[in-house]
Order: sequence, then structure tokens, then C-alpha cells
Amino acid sequence: MSEAVSAAGIASGRGIDSPVRHALRRLSVYLRRNARYYLVWFFVVLLYVASFNLLPLAVGWAIDGLVEGVPRAEVFRRCWILFGIAVCGGVLRFYSRQLVFDAAREVEYEIRNDLFAHLQKLPQSFFFRWRTGDLMSRCVNDLNSVRMLLGPGLLSVAQSPILFVGAFLAMSTLSLKLAILMMLPYPAFILISRVLGSRLYARSLAAQQSLSSMSNFVQENVAGIAVVKAYSMERDQADRFEEANEALRERSLELVRTSAAMPAVTGLLPAVGLALALWVGFGEIQAGRMGTGALFSFTIFARQLTFPTFIMGYAISLMQRGASAMQRIDEILSVLPSIRDEAGSVAPDEIAGRIEFRGLTFRYDDASRAPALDAIDLVVPAGTTVGIVGPVGAGKSTLASVIPRLFEVDDGQLFIDGIDINRIQLACLRRAIAMVPQDSFLFSMPLRDNIAYGLPADVPFERIETAARRAQLARDIEDLPHGYETLVGERGIMLSGGQRQRTALARALALEPSILILDDTLSAVDADTEQRIQAELDRLFAGRTVVVVASRVNSVRKLDQIVVLDGGRIVERGSHAELIAQGGVYARLAEEQAAEETRAERERRLVREGLGRAVGEGA
Amino acid sequence: MSAPANGRSPASKTPPGRKTDLHEEEELGRAYDGRLLLRLWPFVRPYRRQIWITLLLFVPIFLLELAPAWVVKVGMDLVLAGEPTAGGWANAALAGVQQRLATPPPGIPVAIWLAGLYFSVSVSLGLLSWVHQVIMATTGQYAMFDLRRTVFAHIQQLPMSFFDTMPVGRLVTRSTNDVENLGEMFSQGLVALVTDVIKMLGFAVVLFLVSPKLTLYTFAIVPVMAFAAFVFRWKVREAYRAVRVKIARINTQIQETVTGMKVVQLFSREDRNLADFDRMNADHRDAWHQSIRYDSLLFSTIEVATGVTMAVIIGVGTGIAEAGILYVFIDYMQRFFMPLRDLSAKYSVMQSAMASTERIFQLLDTVPSVRDRVAVVPATEPAAAGTVEFDHVWFRYGPSSDGEAEAAGDTNADASGGAAAPADEGDWILRDVSFRVAPGEKVAFVGATGAGKTTIIKLLTRLYDVDRGCVRVDGVDVRDFPQQALRKRVATVLQDVFLFSGTLARNIALGRHDLDELAIQRAARAVEAHDFIERLPGGYATEVRERGSNFSTGQRQILSFARALAHGAPVLVLDEATSAIDPTTEAAIQRGIRVLMEGKTAIAIAHRLSTIRDVDRIFVLVGGRIVESGSHDALLAADGVYARLYRLQAEREEEGALAARPA
Repeated sequence: MSEAVSAAGIASGRGIDSPVRHALRRLSVYLRRNARYYLVWFFVVLLYVASFNLLPLAVGWAIDGLVEGVPRAEVFRRCWILFGIAVCGGVLRFYSRQLVFDAAREVEYEIRNDLFAHLQKLPQSFFFRWRTGDLMSRCVNDLNSVRMLLGPGLLSVAQSPILFVGAFLAMSTLSLKLAILMMLPYPAFILISRVLGSRLYARSLAAQQSLSSMSNFVQENVAGIAVVKAYSMERDQADRFEEANEALRERSLELVRTSAAMPAVTGLLPAVGLALALWVGFGEIQAGRMGTGALFSFTIFARQLTFPTFIMGYAISLMQRGASAMQRIDEILSVLPSIRDEAGSVAPDEIAGRIEFRGLTFRYDDASRAPALDAIDLVVPAGTTVGIVGPVGAGKSTLASVIPRLFEVDDGQLFIDGIDINRIQLACLRRAIAMVPQDSFLFSMPLRDNIAYGLPADVPFERIETAARRAQLARDIEDLPHGYETLVGERGIMLSGGQRQRTALARALALEPSILILDDTLSAVDADTEQRIQAELDRLFAGRTVVVVASRVNSVRKLDQIVVLDGGRIVERGSHAELIAQGGVYARLAEEQAAEETRAERERRLVREGLGRAVGEGA
Repeated sequence: MSAPANGRSPASKTPPGRKTDLHEEEELGRAYDGRLLLRLWPFVRPYRRQIWITLLLFVPIFLLELAPAWVVKVGMDLVLAGEPTAGGWANAALAGVQQRLATPPPGIPVAIWLAGLYFSVSVSLGLLSWVHQVIMATTGQYAMFDLRRTVFAHIQQLPMSFFDTMPVGRLVTRSTNDVENLGEMFSQGLVALVTDVIKMLGFAVVLFLVSPKLTLYTFAIVPVMAFAAFVFRWKVREAYRAVRVKIARINTQIQETVTGMKVVQLFSREDRNLADFDRMNADHRDAWHQSIRYDSLLFSTIEVATGVTMAVIIGVGTGIAEAGILYVFIDYMQRFFMPLRDLSAKYSVMQSAMASTERIFQLLDTVPSVRDRVAVVPATEPAAAGTVEFDHVWFRYGPSSDGEAEAAGDTNADASGGAAAPADEGDWILRDVSFRVAPGEKVAFVGATGAGKTTIIKLLTRLYDVDRGCVRVDGVDVRDFPQQALRKRVATVLQDVFLFSGTLARNIALGRHDLDELAIQRAARAVEAHDFIERLPGGYATEVRERGSNFSTGQRQILSFARALAHGAPVLVLDEATSAIDPTTEAAIQRGIRVLMEGKTAIAIAHRLSTIRDVDRIFVLVGGRIVESGSHDALLAADGVYARLYRLQAEREEEGALAARPA
């Protein structure tokens, strides 16, 4: 769906486009798609405007009847007509609102779907550049502004001019002079309400910010209450709260002063109109150029036009805000997914798992910085294992992440089973590869769904269980309150770091992939469990390709080959024994880590475990 | 107040970004609860004068609302009959006033006079309404300000046990959104509701006085209108609530997908995700369609009612009233209907305000179980300065450490009677713990997880009160200190270091304004924090981001040492971190601890062997009891739990050394 609206549909415009134009062109695609709504709506609006302006005329007509002493039956007839117009007006009003608001929701729905679908297509590099908060704000606030543009904004901006023209025509049938006079102040009022409207917006934003900064302060205070109490910070914190509290009060007061002025100012409009009607109207009536009923009509016109005028200024700000919001949304939708299937992509039936890097060089966004991976040459034959070690920031994770094409790789640099990675269909490639990323992100869903995340919806439960068992997670799950149905993730229970990592591992194992990539996956898993997992993996993945990224030498020593990365380059390669014998970076790393192991880490563990055992024996 | 925009402006429909807890959203209070309103009185009391002013202002506002229609009426009468006519009973009473209105000052044409009169009355009405609104809302803002301060102050003095069970978010909601909700009651709810009802009654009375017959006919429509307005408003509100729950779900879904995008893509979950999302999104849209339908119905009903009322007034009025009176009628009827539109909206504002009020007072009613018994710092024996003593201390978490135990008697709550009686003996975290630490002495507590080590720290700093026995600092019961004075004597270094947003300097000074930059730097230098701080681009002014995510665990620990050192309390309590840190930082931390302990009474919960070996005395805690105590050598000689522990360590150390050697 989004494909239709992205690139092709919009880029068709000639020449270079301003961003706003580009955004509005995209918006118009959505409008066109909902044209049926808007066409019907336009007709309803025309009818509504007619009834809207007939009503005051009908009132005047009925009053004239009353004043001129026509038969009562005739006055009643006129009243019934007035009654009918009022009911028709109400019905039309209903549809004119409902249609345009429904259409706005429809468009909102479509844009939101497209945004979501589009985001899912964007590569990791995009999510490095864009902060989650920013993306969220575009998906939530900006989309909201666009909807306001299409709903109340469009309703008023499209309807009001017709309304005013209609009203002017209707009034001029009574008295052209008075009609012109009545219309004079309206532009000024549109301007005033616009100024007030944007000020109102700015101030409510400021008040909102004050409130949220106060929320943040309270949040921090409560979260750190132990320190607050331990260091007797209560008074100091109370002073700071007072500041935030005062700021909030002042911002709110500013907001109140403006928002309270709105009705006062709007009340002024019919006042001007009616004063004019009285002043000029009396003369006209006395001169016999106008009937008494017309005076009624004018007063009703003055009153009726107030709201549309008031809303008009507001609507103009809505349109402006909506346009720039659409521009921000367009910015995202216009990012072309750099990792996608091309016309010539192939989908091999089976992937054996041979990985080959041919002088692969990769740099993140910033061209001025040194490449994250520099001329990597590496062959991992199908069914073998490779370990990647090196200091922090050496490019280990990057090396692992390019294999499932999380980052863009130039053509001719990375091959799976001899096929250029950019020519393998994404779905096919990623089905064959399972990666356990460094941060074991779990979704807010039951544990079983997290494990089955990459599997079809109807997968048998046994497969999930098996995966959990292999990742040494099954026993932990049994201890959980609801077993496999336990909700985890942000809104669920907190699993320990090790449990999270093992869940992420189970999720990958469940795929039964040809290539398994572990990106420093078991750092929070204790040594015993790690050994059991290793044993399980050795058994399971005999004959499959395994890539292990590790910061600890211990985790890779048994693998078929080990490469040592430093500054994005491969500085050493070979088996564990070879590398130790070589006495280079790897050997030094091994020694350092061994020393570290003897010191702090083990000391602490010994105290903890030793004491536990000692106590156990003693008691 | 003649603006139809009142409460109808699109902006007011969705209060910008108001956060509401989804679960709490469901619970609604009654719109009126006298007991709760009474409790709010103390917060309103200081602003009695403003409230009187707003009530008094209501009288001229109402009169000004009546006036414009009469000006027009008089004008019409003049045009049609040449003089003001007296229709009903009220007209007779107002005849004098009408006559005044009909006679302009000399030299001014009557049309201009009336137009000017009309204009100035309308402008005064606008101004007065504005003043009225501003005073009302200002009063509300000030009362909210006071309420927020009270809530925050109350939260701060609640004991730690309270925070163990209360989610942070809920407390934030209490002091912000709940107070905001309550504030809306001032600006839109209660006061507006009362004045609206009075106003409607007033118009009804005036209408009746002008023409009883016309009034009876036209009022036939009022119940219908009121009913429709109420029902539709209600439906809108219900539909809107459904929408809120749905949009919250959608936004959570987007947020989660964006955060976990790597996993989404790695596991090719895009299509299924989109299908799920589409369903949610469509649900949300359909909920809106529902809401829009009722909203539009409400809107058009009001419009129909306005027109229909005019038809009825003219139809019924034919023959019994002249044009001027009809004008007055039409005008007043419209003003009469105005509050009706918002009535149910105001009712819901009241409801949520009441629910919030109830939640706020629930919080304020929580009695802090740890309270200052004295306001003045007690005199302490100079000889006892820096001593810490636990005297047969019993303690357990749970209800006994809350208010009831306090009520049962502070110090001598008997274990077998009163609220403090344990349900089963297994509950006790500390059992009859006694020890005394001399000034300048350094002791360490060792024990398995759950042995009660951390609890000792919490009791010593009086984050909790003991159930039985007594904790003394400087020879004085900790309950006889004002809490702040006690905590000035005892500096705590906690295992998980909490950094506040703000500068590094502030994070070291922690509210001590008397600490100048030099003192802060001296403390930082002593624990070797100065160098890495100076290397930061902002130095001591570097802002701490999101709870210190821009600092490593080791750096955070060293910062917490600087904190404790800067505060210079004579007694130091240290909960050593258990987490792994690189060897270089580890060494720095060890040196930091040594600096920190220098010349102080120090109580450490130790995990590092070096710390344990360094102290004067070691206490071994098992199951809440001290089973052994003494110096390292003495304990080894005693050949008890500690000795076994030590031997095990030695064995392990050898194993470890072998294992660590590269194969």
C-alpha cells in the first residue's frame, strides 16, 4: 500500500520541489484515495450553507408576517417552514461534520499504517540516526496535527468562505448597505482570532512542558528516594520542587489569561455586527427601505457567523501546523529503504551457510570517520565455526550484523553460498540466519510468543519447548507464575539479564537456521549454564555455520577459527593454540583476562559462594 | 459568555498530551462527595476572598447578559410603536428603565445612542466575564500550587517501606495529573456548574416574568434538549474513553517495534506485525467513527433546537406579544441553552476530579511510620561521638514496621502481643542483634544474601524503625534524633549508585549548599574522581544524562565515594558493589574505599576480600543472627564459619589460578 504512495506517486512532479509542496502532494494522494467522502461532503456543505443562510431570512419573514398583521394561519405556515429549515439544517450539519471527520480518520488510519509499514522496511542505519522519541513524536503528535488539518481545519477553511459568500448574498437581499457594513469587521476578527489562537497554542505548549518537567522531577525524586533520605536532601529537593511548581503555576496562569480572553473576544464580534445593525437598521426601517423582520435576520446572521469566524482563525493555524507536521511525516516516508529486494534478487531453495567477505569495507553514516570495518577478507566454510574477538569498538558487532544484512554492504564484498548478499531475497536470507543480538530485546508478549517470534503463527508448542530446553531456559520457565504464558518485556515481569539472554537464544534456536550468529550473547549467563549451553550448541550445530562474537577469550577457544579485530581490521587469525603460540594481541588478551578473572570477579564470587557453602555445612 | 465556542473549540476536546494511567482511567468517582469537598476546604480557605469576589461578580454579569436584548427591544418598540411598549408584568416594572433607555442625551440620534449602548454593554460583559474567569482560574492555580506542595512534601517524608510497594509512576500521577484534574474542577467544574444552574434558573424566572404563556410553550422543548445533550455527551465520552485505550495500545506498539526493530527484521516478522497493527489501527478508527457520530449528533441537535425554538416562539407569540418581546425571548432562550450543552461535560469533569481528590487524600492519609519524635538535636556525650550500637535489635519487614507498631508503643512492643506479634518466627530479618562499634573502629559484615546485612544499614540510618530493641548513634537512640540530624552524622554509600539529573558538582554536593567548588574538588581528588571529571568536556559542570547512563559503573561508584567524603559525616556506612568492573577501576575503587574509611567509624557490607581483611572486626551474619565476630586472625583461630569460608576461598583461589592459565 505504502509503495503506491511513496516515491513513484509523489516524485512524478517536475523539477525540484519545496519540502512542504512535496509533503502536500503526498497528502493529496491520500485525499484522492478518499475522494468519495469528499465529493459527497462538498454537496452536503453546499446544501448546508443554503439552509444556514435561509434560516435568518425565514425568521425575518415570519416576524414580518407578525408585525404586518397577516392572517395568523399564514404566520404559522411561515413558522412551520422555519421549523423545517431548522431541522434540515441540523441534518445537513450532522453529515457535513461526520463526513469530513470520518474522512480525516480514514486518512489518519492509512498514513499510520503506511508509516508503520515503512518504518519496518528501514535499515538499522536509519534507527541510529533517528531517536525513538523523535520518531514517536512524528507518529503520534504530527499525525495528530495532520488529522486536525483534515478534520476541523479543512471543515472550516473549506466551509467558511462559502458560508460567508452565502451570508452576504442572503443579507444583501435585505439591505445591500447593511450587508456590506456587516461584512467589514470579519477579516479583522479572523486575524485577531488567529493571533490569539497561535498564542494559545504556544502557551498551552509551555504549560505542558512545565508539567512534564515537574513530572520528571518527581519521578527522579521518588526513584532516588533512598539517596534523598540518606543525604537529608529533602529540603533541597523541596526547594527545587517549589521552583518547578511555581513555573508550572505561572505558565498555567498565562495560559488561563489567554484562553479566558477567547470567549470575550468572540463575544465582541456579534456586538459590533448588532450595533451596526441597530445604528443603520433603524434608519433604514424608519425610511421604509427595510422591514422589521430584516433587523431580526441581521441579528441572527451576526450571531450565526460568530463561530465560523472564530474557528476560521483557529483553522488557519491548524492548517499551518498540519502542513509542517505533514512535512515531518513526509521526511520519514521519503527515506528510501536502502536494504530491499531488487528486481534480480534470487531465492535459493536452501542456504548451506558458506560466508565469504571479500575486502569488505563498511563505514557508518559519517564519511569523515574511519571505517568500522576495513578490508575484511574472511571465508567461513559451510558448517564451520568462527570466533570474533577484539577490544571494545573494534567492529565485532558490525561484522556480525552485516551477515543478515542489517547494514548496507556494497556489491561484491559479501557472499553467502557464493551469491552476493545484495542479490539474495531478504526474507530468504533472514530465514536462513538466526542472530542473537547483544541487547536481548524482548517484546511485551507471553514468553512462548517471544520464543516463537520468528516462527509461523500455527507452530506446534513442542517446537517452542524444545528451543527453551536447548537454551537452558525450560527450568526457569517452570518457576514462573504462568509458565510459558508469563508476560515479559516492558509491561511484563522483569527477567534477569541471564534469563533474557537465554530467551533471546531460544528465539534464535527455534528457527533452526543454517547460520547462527551469537553477538556476545551469554555475558550475563553464569559459567555453569554457559558450559551447558555450549555443549548443547556443539551437538545441535554440528554441520552448521556458527559465528560467535565474544569479548572473552574463553568463549571462542574451541572454535574452528578465530579472528582478532582491532580498529576494524583483522589483525590476527588462526586457532586458539596458534594464536596463543603467536604471542600477539590474542595471547595478551587471554593473559589479561585470566589475570582479571583471578582478581576481582573471583574474589567476589568466592566470598559469596564460599560463605553460602560454609554456612550450609555449619548449620 | 455569548460565545458558542465555549467548551466547543476543537482544542478543548483533546487536552494536549494529558497523560492518564490507563488502569486508573476506568475508576470514576461520584460527581459529588461532601466529605471530600470538605477536606478540600483547607486548600481553598486562603482564597476565600477571591471566591467571594467571583460570586459577587456573578450578579453584574447576569444583569449585563440581560441588558443587550432590552436595548434592541426598546429600539424595535421605538421603530414600530414610537415608544417603548409594556407587554408583561416585568415590562411594567421596567417601564422607567425603558424610558431612560429610549431617551438619548441631547444631540445624539437615538439610533446611534442605542447602538453605542448595545456595544458598550456587550464589551463590558466580555471584559467582566474575562475578569471573572481569570480570577476563578487563578484561584484554582494557586490552590493547586499549594496542594502539589503538600503532596510532594508528604511523599518525601514517607518511610522507605512505603516506596517498596508503591510504583513510582503512581506517585508522579498523584502530584501532577491528579492535581491537574482537581484544578479543572475550579475552572470548569464545580463553580461553573453552580453558576450555570443559577444562571439558567435566572433566565427561566425572567422569561416567565416577561411572558408566562410563551415561557410555558417554549420550555416544552427544554427537557428534550437536556436529555439529548446529556445522552450524546455521555456517549461521546464513552466512545472517547475506548479511543484512548486503543490509541495508547497503538502507540505502545509503535514504540516497541521501533525499539526492537533489529529483532523484527532479523526474524522477518514485518508482515505479521503489519497485519496486527492494521487490526489495532482499524479498531481505533472505528471507535472514532462511533465517537464522531455522537459528537455530530450533539452538534446538530443544538443547531436544530436553536432554530426550532425560534419557530415556536414566533408561532406561539403571534397575537400575544409584539416583535420586541419576541426578540428578548429569542435572545434569552439562546442564553438559556448555552450552559445545557456543557452540562454533562462538566459533570464528567467533576467525576474525574472527585476520583483524583480521593486518590490524593488516600495518599495524604498515609501516616509516615518513621517520624521525628523530637525537633531539636539531642545533646550527645562527646566521649560517645562516633559510636554505633545495636542493642538486642529485632526487625522484620511488612506491616509491623508500619503505623500499627508505632501505635502499639515504640520501643517495647512485645513480640507475643500487640500488632508487632509475628505470624511465624520465620519472618524476622534480624534476631536479637547486638554489637557496639567504637569511634574510629572499622567493622565488616559478611553473610549470604538475605542474612540481613543490608537491613542493618537501613536501621542505622533509620530508613526503617526497629521492632524491638534499640539502635544508638553517639550514644543516643536514633529515634531521638530528628531524621535529618541523624543522617548528617551517618554517610551512606549504597550499592546501586543513583545519580540525579543536573551537574556532576551537584551530584557530589547533594543539596549541601555550603560546599563550595573547592570542597567538592577536594573530595573528588581524594577518591581519584578528579582526573576523569576534568577530562570530561564540561568538567564538574557536565550534565548527568538519564540517571548517569553517560558514566560507567565504576565511575558512578567513585562518584558516590566523593559524595560521602564531601559530606564528612563521622560515621560511614558502605554497601560494597558486587558487580564486575575492569581491573584498573577496581584498584581505584579499593584505594577510594580506604581513603573514605580513614579516621571514621566505618561499617561495611563487604564483598571484596581485601576490604574484609583490612577491617578491625568482622561480624558473620547467618539468618539474621550474628554467629561470630572478631578480627580476621581471631576468627581463623576460632575455626568456625569464617574459617571454613576462608579455607574454601584459598582452595578456590588455587583452582582459579590454574584455570586462568592459558591452555
